[in-house]
Amino acid sequence: MAFRPSLRRHSKEPNTELNLNPLLDVMTVLIPLLLANSQFAKIGVIELNLPPAAGAANIAQGVSGLPKETSRHLDLVVTITDKGFYIASAVTAPEEMPGGGPAIPVNTNGEYDLPGLSQKLFEIKQKAGTNFADPEAVVIQAEPSISYQILVSTMDAARGLRIDGKTVTLFPNVALSAGIL
Amino acid sequence: MAFIPSRIKKHKTAMPEATLNLTSMLDTFTVLLIFLLQMYSTDGQLISPSEYLTLPNSNVEQPPEVGLDVVVSKNMILVNNEKVVIMDDVTANNAAIMEHGIIKPLKERLQYYSSQAKKMETDYGVKFSGKVVIQGDKDLPYFELVKVMRTCGLGGYPNMRLAVYRPE
Repeated sequence: MAFRPSLRRHSKEPNTELNLNPLLDVMTVLIPLLLANSQFAKIGVIELNLPPAAGAANIAQGVSGLPKETSRHLDLVVTITDKGFYIASAVTAPEEMPGGGPAIPVNTNGEYDLPGLSQKLFEIKQKAGTNFADPEAVVIQAEPSISYQILVSTMDAARGLRIDGKTVTLFPNVALSAGIL
Repeated sequence: MAFIPSRIKKHKTAMPEATLNLTSMLDTFTVLLIFLLQMYSTDGQLISPSEYLTLPNSNVEQPPEVGLDVVVSKNMILVNNEKVVIMDDVTANNAAIMEHGIIKPLKERLQYYSSQAKKMETDYGVKFSGKVVIQGDKDLPYFELVKVMRTCGLGGYPNMRLAVYRPE
């Protein structure tokens, strides 16, 4: 029998490759666009509440619309000093460590005990319940040399507390206070 | 005569079709695209952090808002990216610019902006909210921050916001 070359050699394979060029074109446009528009550092803002001015409207009415005589105020004040946090409110006696120290002193290595502050404020929140006209307000004051980061961290600690994966709102309405210059 | 194959033709191999293999590049692009789309926020950049300072970190959830930019860096105070005063003068309570804890040049600048904004409100109905976004360096002492805030209040901007970083 004469030699017959294989037929396979002659069958031309069709070009099965996908044409990816249009996809690539879209990508090259989209990626620079998104890169230019994206912000990698997320920025937020902390809203500050000015202490209410002692104007006529405030004297006539409390925060909740009740006459001022019948509405009680919690008047929570957190004071940041270089020794720690002092806390004062209507439901707590001005708490101090024996020997006149702050309610929540700094750690032995000089760091502020922010979880301790949150915990303490949580206790105050529970003690206060709904008996007060300003259940979410806190006034923060600080010594002149306290750094901005510590102030912001204190606001964070006063704003909420995470317990078992849930966030408990404490005192998000922050006002800052300072002595009269 | 026997057939002699051409020497030239014999060695001329067929030119292979030159195609780049783009698949791997496309894979990279797809991953990048998904990552960038996930990062993308429709808010746009309302606050552009200043290059002169490091904002403090916070776990606040509130998204940024539009307002007048007041930058308090280590060296100077800027309003809308224009230098107003040197920080050393503020810290030292230099009598030329300070008066009862008020930074006079800053107050004048803020009053200029608030009067412009109020004029816009009466002329074109653009609401003036008195919002100001304070970007302070994380090491800024509280005393200096209070001076700036007091000045903002007197300059016609009582609605203050503090800009912070939100690390994931």
